[in-house]
Amino acid sequence: MSLLALLPGFADRFGRRIGFLALSLAYALLVAACIASLLMENELSLGRNPLANLARTAVEFARPSFLDAWSGNPNLEYRSDDGTLLRVENRREVERNYLAGLGEATWTTIRIATLGSVLGALLALPLAVLTARNLLAPRPLAWLAKGVLDVARSIHTLVFGLVLVGIVGLGPTAGILAIALHSLGSYGKLFAESIETLDMAAINAVRGVGAGPVQVFFNAIWPAVLPQFVSSHLYVWEFNIRDSTILGIIGAGGLGLLISEATSLFQWGRLSTVLLVVFLLVTSFDAMSRRIRKALL
Amino acid sequence: MTSVPATVIALKSLACIADDRSLLEIDELTVGAGERIAIVGHNGAGKTTLLRLLSGCMRPAHGSAEVLGRALQDALPAAELRALRQEVGQVLQGVHLVARLSAIENALIGSLGRVTGWRSWMRWYPAQEVAQAEAALQAVGLLAHAYTRADKLSGGEKQKVAIARLLMQRPRLILADEPTAALDPSGATEVCRLLVKAARRATLITVVHSPALLPLLAERVIGLKQGRIAFDLPLASVGDHELGNLYRSAGGAVRALASPAVQSFSDPIGHLPIR
Repeated sequence: MSLLALLPGFADRFGRRIGFLALSLAYALLVAACIASLLMENELSLGRNPLANLARTAVEFARPSFLDAWSGNPNLEYRSDDGTLLRVENRREVERNYLAGLGEATWTTIRIATLGSVLGALLALPLAVLTARNLLAPRPLAWLAKGVLDVARSIHTLVFGLVLVGIVGLGPTAGILAIALHSLGSYGKLFAESIETLDMAAINAVRGVGAGPVQVFFNAIWPAVLPQFVSSHLYVWEFNIRDSTILGIIGAGGLGLLISEATSLFQWGRLSTVLLVVFLLVTSFDAMSRRIRKALL
Repeated sequence: MTSVPATVIALKSLACIADDRSLLEIDELTVGAGERIAIVGHNGAGKTTLLRLLSGCMRPAHGSAEVLGRALQDALPAAELRALRQEVGQVLQGVHLVARLSAIENALIGSLGRVTGWRSWMRWYPAQEVAQAEAALQAVGLLAHAYTRADKLSGGEKQKVAIARLLMQRPRLILADEPTAALDPSGATEVCRLLVKAARRATLITVVHSPALLPLLAERVIGLKQGRIAFDLPLASVGDHELGNLYRSAGGAVRALASPAVQSFSDPIGHLPIR
């Protein structure tokens, strides 16, 4: 038997594997090209003394500033080089004030994420109805809606925030709008997907008993779609809590402001306190929303 | 209710065409009130097309079709169509319940033709309808599962909920398209019994494949073949001969496949086809 006669079977059996091999090779080449070009531009350095810097930062990080609120020096004296007393500081009081500010910033972050999510979900709903393929919206409208969703999804919250700070000024309003505009894209996609999984047969059955359009909506479409909508809402809200923690960096209010303050002053202890709060906020929200979503499905 | 017309269905020189293909051609078919009819025929014989036509989901290309006093050859206004659907109950192939609603809420959907207004939007039904829905579930033996979600029920239980919905709808004409397709023989028998019970005051038209279920469901059997009526006989005169003709001689290919293959499988040890 000749080799040629074997070839068609060979292509059938190994064609997909060869395709995958080629893709893997292309990927490896891309990674290699990135590393090589950065090396050639001499951009892959770790700075002058990375290990010493890391050690110093880690030590400060390991002692979060909030501990000082109870264990700090109540009578910290600042003296000049010749020994004259400049001022006396109650470390406990200072850190307690900082914690109060931190609480307020956390509350602002929660407010930004919550209101931004609500606004984004409301804006996304009509767009999702237009883009869901099974609802057969007029083609040009569907394309327009899909375009809006794609643009919203591809622009980062921070970019929206920077633009909006220029329009509506510094503060939480810019943050809320930025979150809403970006999450609009995710909401639209998730909502459209849950509309597309609707059981059309069940809808037709309800229509079949002579129910009117509004009755069909509330008895067949709404109960099928609502849990999925709530579930996607919680999911995106969870994301937005995370996203809104850095919005303050660009002046849109909340925890991000404290993060940028701490990093620019190299106060790693304070950064560690803020990040602890972020961690607790995000994980507790994660756990809560996961439970609710599980109960719903 | 005003006087019930004796004729429920009257079809005359009717044809249904989709994509230039003739799906159904019927010269004449009349069904009187309270009749029990089974429709048999191979796949693609036009059974489902006939049911879709009768439920107002499809319009004939020409000819006349009158169902419950409404002429279906003209486009009905939406309100008329809804009124017709209210009077035509359907049990469909597979099960078409709203998965996330409980059994009793699915049964109550049957009453949506009567219950109107904002209360029906909130699925807040009048107490007497709820009582009737409980009675309907009791009749199909599912009262214990009244508040179980439909997607947690078994296939047979779902089909029983669909019958409870039918009981709530109280239609004058019931169209059932292979209501037992997914059920085991004993489940199929039970569902057929319940279906006939539900159709006590209605006309019942069922598409069935299993000859064993015919005596349960029908007094009159209509055989469809390639979109035409092959026979229309009382149950007593339908035998293996008629059914065999109907299913076997649909086309050359089917005949060729049916006889030798069936023979060789009936004697699997002696005549296994070996190539």
